Amino acid sequence: MRKQPLWYWLFLAPVLIALTVVVIIPFIFGLYYSFTNWNGIQSTEFVGFKHYINVFQDKEFLHSLWFTTKFSIASVLFINLFGLTLALIVTQKIKTYKILRTIFFMPNLIGGLILGFIWQFIFIKVFANVGNYLHIESLKGWLSTPETGFWGLVILMSWQMAGYIMVIYIAYLESIPQELLEAAEIDGANRFQRFRHITFPLVAPAFTVSLFLTLSNSFKLYDQNLSLTGGGPYNSTQMIAMEIFKTAFSENQMAYAQSKAVIFFVIVAVISLTQVYFNKKREVEM
Amino acid sequence: MKAKKVFLAALSLFLLLSVALFGCSSSNSSNDSGNKSSDDQVTIDIFQFKVEFKDQFEKVAKQYEKEHPGVKINITTVGGGEDYGAALKSKFASGDEPAIFNVGGPQDVEDWLDKLADLSDTKAASLALEGTLDGVKKGDQILGLPYNQEGYGLIYNKEIFKKAGIDPKNIKSFSDLENAVKKLDKEKKSLGIDAVFAFPAKETWVTGLHLSNVFLAPEFDSNVVNAFNAKTVEFKYGDAMKKFIDLQNKYSVQPTVSLDYSQQVEELFSTGRVAIIQQGNWVYNSIADIDPELAEKNIGILPIPIEGYKEDVIPVGVPMYWAVNKNKDEKVVKESKKFLDWLYTSDEGKEIILNEFKFIPAYDGYDSSEISDPLSKEIYDYAQQGKTIGWVFMGYPTGWGMEKLGVNIQKYVSGKMKWDELIANSKKEWEEARNK
Repeated sequence: MRKQPLWYWLFLAPVLIALTVVVIIPFIFGLYYSFTNWNGIQSTEFVGFKHYINVFQDKEFLHSLWFTTKFSIASVLFINLFGLTLALIVTQKIKTYKILRTIFFMPNLIGGLILGFIWQFIFIKVFANVGNYLHIESLKGWLSTPETGFWGLVILMSWQMAGYIMVIYIAYLESIPQELLEAAEIDGANRFQRFRHITFPLVAPAFTVSLFLTLSNSFKLYDQNLSLTGGGPYNSTQMIAMEIFKTAFSENQMAYAQSKAVIFFVIVAVISLTQVYFNKKREVEM
Repeated sequence: MKAKKVFLAALSLFLLLSVALFGCSSSNSSNDSGNKSSDDQVTIDIFQFKVEFKDQFEKVAKQYEKEHPGVKINITTVGGGEDYGAALKSKFASGDEPAIFNVGGPQDVEDWLDKLADLSDTKAASLALEGTLDGVKKGDQILGLPYNQEGYGLIYNKEIFKKAGIDPKNIKSFSDLENAVKKLDKEKKSLGIDAVFAFPAKETWVTGLHLSNVFLAPEFDSNVVNAFNAKTVEFKYGDAMKKFIDLQNKYSVQPTVSLDYSQQVEELFSTGRVAIIQQGNWVYNSIADIDPELAEKNIGILPIPIEGYKEDVIPVGVPMYWAVNKNKDEKVVKESKKFLDWLYTSDEGKEIILNEFKFIPAYDGYDSSEISDPLSKEIYDYAQQGKTIGWVFMGYPTGWGMEKLGVNIQKYVSGKMKWDELIANSKKEWEEARNK
């Protein structure tokens, strides 16, 4: 990197200062607190790695970690599947494609908490009524078992994020040169072959962005989780962010919660970085 | 070219400084005004949790300001139990410490000990009802003043009872209750109700704190301090507790694990779709908003029977205490105490407590006939007759009631945990929390 002039750093300073004050310094504080017996008001003792050792014997934490992982896998899969499908639909020559794009994107404009409550109503009231009417037992009692809670979250999340991911795919789909597709068509490639061998490789960079966004978003999910299931029934649908929040504020073990948060940070960072690394590599190869 | 560089550097420097200075200037100015006003005026910052009476409380503060020139009261309200604790911590951490704030019980007193001023010299402390100060005493010091009293039990719909031919006066024990519930259940259709109960197992405070309190209070002599100091929990009346949970769960609208407070109170009880709910006097306003007639004339409260102990007692307790920050200016501390005294012991204050706040007073010297809502009145009558047990759940290990016991009860009602396992696990969690 070549040496930057003074004004370069001066212009950058406001952002750097803001970042330091609201992200880096709190992070260092947090790291420090996780080694003490801090209770949110004061810390009197340095306890070393005690909290970190306890975390790995904490059943509840491990359960929520496992649940979050399952949830992330399912939702990443569904969000990208739906996102790409929607993007393919609205890039076809349909008259209403502009309106459709808007409609598909809209769920993303509603806040997570409100979405959670809306879907809670749908799952509990609407599903139950439809189930009563059509005598379908499986539609009753949604969100009252761990399985329905899990799928409820996945459905909610896919519905919300798919529109957003769709926009990313659209951008890449529209930048595909038409000549390539036309040439392939003339050569006799059918719809599926064109998609498989031309469209798909060319939107690969979009996967990097989308996978990264959906993965880290699903891992860090909190507000939808809070308003849809609240972790219930019996904390079986409690994700890591919520588990950490509860340890900190309901059980008042601030330092312990802080160490969980540090571990959580490491996990998210590792997953995201590996994933970006591999996807980048693939892009270069093409 | 050079001129341009100099210009750019100057511009960026200016931008940077303006950001820095702007940030400082606003805080400077507020400091200035703070200092100036403290010479001739005392500002009391109040940080409180009770959202329900925020508007009335702010009105009262205005009235107090008018009558006491030189005192300014700023009220910040952050609602809902656990959020308040978190908000209070960040408020203190920011350095902008309030003069008056709330503490919930022994654990809070322990946590905030360095900040709490002794209030034993206030008039209000000397008038507080017996037992209401137990949770906030530390030696001779009294570190908090009770807000009010609250009580809970089984709130029932009088009209439905009448239609079914059940006289609530005859329900004196668990078996009476069971019979009444069975009768109601049998006549469900003709009474037009969905079920007898609405049992909100989703709300772990209803099950893990309130319900469990009834059955755990006897083993701690109804004293929150005993619970706070207890290294173990026995579940001496565990069988009675199981029976009571089973009764509510079996005859409730299903599924109970996803049934929440607003469904229980607003959607099901206020509209007459269930006959009985386990709640407290705080639901009065919600019911009145939906059906004023029902709230005014047709609701009553029954005790939760503890088989083998007492079957006619209402759990009555203090939900929250006022605390004064002793690290504030002496003048501010003095004025804060004066304000609390005025609120609870002056004639004007009493009037407000009863009619504006609609509190069940926790202090001597109130005219009970002025209590306006029927639930509070009934609870106050129980209290007068001594038919109460205390609230010990403020003395549970932090988070135990809601996060452990309440969650275990959810598992129990969904059939994922046996009752013996629930007892064993809850006992273990209590001990672990105490030995941490």
